[in-house]
Amino acid sequence: MSVLGDIWNVCWRELKRFRRQPARILMSIVQPIIWLALLGNMMQAITPMLGSGVKSYLDYMAPGIVVMTTIFGGVFGGLSVVWDRRLGFLNKMLAAPISRSAIPIGKMIASSLISSIQATLILCAAIVMGVNVATGPLGIVAVVLIAMILCLMLSGISLALGAVIKSHETLMVVMNFLTMPLMFTSNALFPKSLMPGWLQTIADWNPITHTITPIRTITTQGWEWALILPDVGAIIVMTLAVIAVATLVFKRSIS
Amino acid sequence: MSTSIIKTENLTKIYSGNIKAVDNASFEVEEEEIYGFLGPNGAGKTTTILMLITLLKPTSGRATVCGFDITKEQAKVRSSIGYVSQDTAVDENLTGRENLLLQGHFYHLPKEVLEKRIDEVLEMVDLTDRANSLVSTYSGGMRKRLDIAEGLIHRPRVLFVDEPTLGLDIQTRHKIWEYIQRLREEAHMTIFLTTHYMDEADKLCDRISIIDYGQIKVVGEPNELKSQIGGDIITLKFTNETNSYTNQALAEIKKLSSIENIVPTKDSFSVVAKDGETTVPKIFEVAGKAGATIESISLKRPTLDDVFMAHTGRELREETSNKEDLMKERIRIRRVRM
Repeated sequence: MSVLGDIWNVCWRELKRFRRQPARILMSIVQPIIWLALLGNMMQAITPMLGSGVKSYLDYMAPGIVVMTTIFGGVFGGLSVVWDRRLGFLNKMLAAPISRSAIPIGKMIASSLISSIQATLILCAAIVMGVNVATGPLGIVAVVLIAMILCLMLSGISLALGAVIKSHETLMVVMNFLTMPLMFTSNALFPKSLMPGWLQTIADWNPITHTITPIRTITTQGWEWALILPDVGAIIVMTLAVIAVATLVFKRSIS
Repeated sequence: MSTSIIKTENLTKIYSGNIKAVDNASFEVEEEEIYGFLGPNGAGKTTTILMLITLLKPTSGRATVCGFDITKEQAKVRSSIGYVSQDTAVDENLTGRENLLLQGHFYHLPKEVLEKRIDEVLEMVDLTDRANSLVSTYSGGMRKRLDIAEGLIHRPRVLFVDEPTLGLDIQTRHKIWEYIQRLREEAHMTIFLTTHYMDEADKLCDRISIIDYGQIKVVGEPNELKSQIGGDIITLKFTNETNSYTNQALAEIKKLSSIENIVPTKDSFSVVAKDGETTVPKIFEVAGKAGATIESISLKRPTLDDVFMAHTGRELREETSNKEDLMKERIRIRRVRM
């Protein structure tokens, strides 16, 4: 299948580039670890309000921080297409007989794979800091897989914007503008049940919430499939839709 | 069947805002030819290339490359051509070999072929010993060579090279010219290039099109175009421009059979003569007889600059700087970017 081959080639390049930039890997996990250490201790007092089964705020927020890392990885996924356009690499790929869709899809998969490394590292750091994962090693794998789906979605949005915006400065500003509201209107750091009604409604529509809820169930409660599957199903559907739209937008931007 | 490997008919591109970047361009490029598009920045050279390599849709007109229609048979065109852009689009975070590997994969070369091909093109551009270094450690000339090597990896029948030596120093430019010439000889490739350097067009190309404001002004072999100027250019300066001896001398010079034309310029006279070397002594002789004294005289062959001037009414040379600045800025951006 040459399309799959093309996707892999685009992806391979991004992964190689990532591996050559150790500073990028380091910086991408240092910040979330600081958040874990700071917030985890600062907010310890609200633990009793988090509902049954949650032993510490750190346990509660760890999934939120893992997802935050994936958000950061995902929202900047579109930058590479802006740079490729600017430096002429995009034209080089387009001049070759490769599938047009392979370029955005390969880049999305690459950001998702990169974020899986980051998510794994953060989760391991959290475990070292005392976070307990109820489902064990298999749970870690499941958490990382769910985080990867979210990363695919966000990098798709970023890529579609990048294909249209064409300026990395503007794209950075737009994506930065999206990141924080996405975080704080979700249940990443704060339980939905304690939010005001209007914020709960927003949180219900926020894909971040639907990523964090199953992850949190897996780490704090166990394999409660009835709580896990609907949310995971929802983000998979959303992600597929985003991939389709992003690919379409990208193809339009180059014709 | 004709031997034209590229053929365009009234190829036109109008950008939004009614900017006519390419205006009814019709030309044919023959197999194994080095064909150049010479013109100032913004003349429509890159737009023409982008249309021929299927990255830009023409507004009207048609073109075939290797016999394939550029709008209807895009995949076939892409497989049979190579493209080296003016951006030197090599990935800095990969090694030279990795860049070539990636490019080979983009062209779906089987693994065994690719390995051999990489060694082959690396050797062709003299990068074998640096193949495993990161491109970020390469000089500008090495990057361009790698870029050209990438364009060759799938042995295209036609190689499109946009401004091959933009922003490179003189020695490196000569090297790149050698590589391009070698390509044609060893790989029997057709090469279509654009340039705004007249010496590049002159030295490298079998035939050139002079393009200005999107229009092809004239097509021909560089030597043929230069000879159409009508002869060599002799610049003549008299000690005393206005006295009667000088006027007498000029009248006599005009009568010489080899003289085509005399045009007064600011403080001298520009003489177009068929056979410069033998005309110069004759000018001395005639001027001496008339009693005029010549202060200085120089003889030069017409350059493509003169050809450009003759067909467009303006000089080519003046406008080179801003694109080079842009290239330098790009190089700076890359360094900052990491």
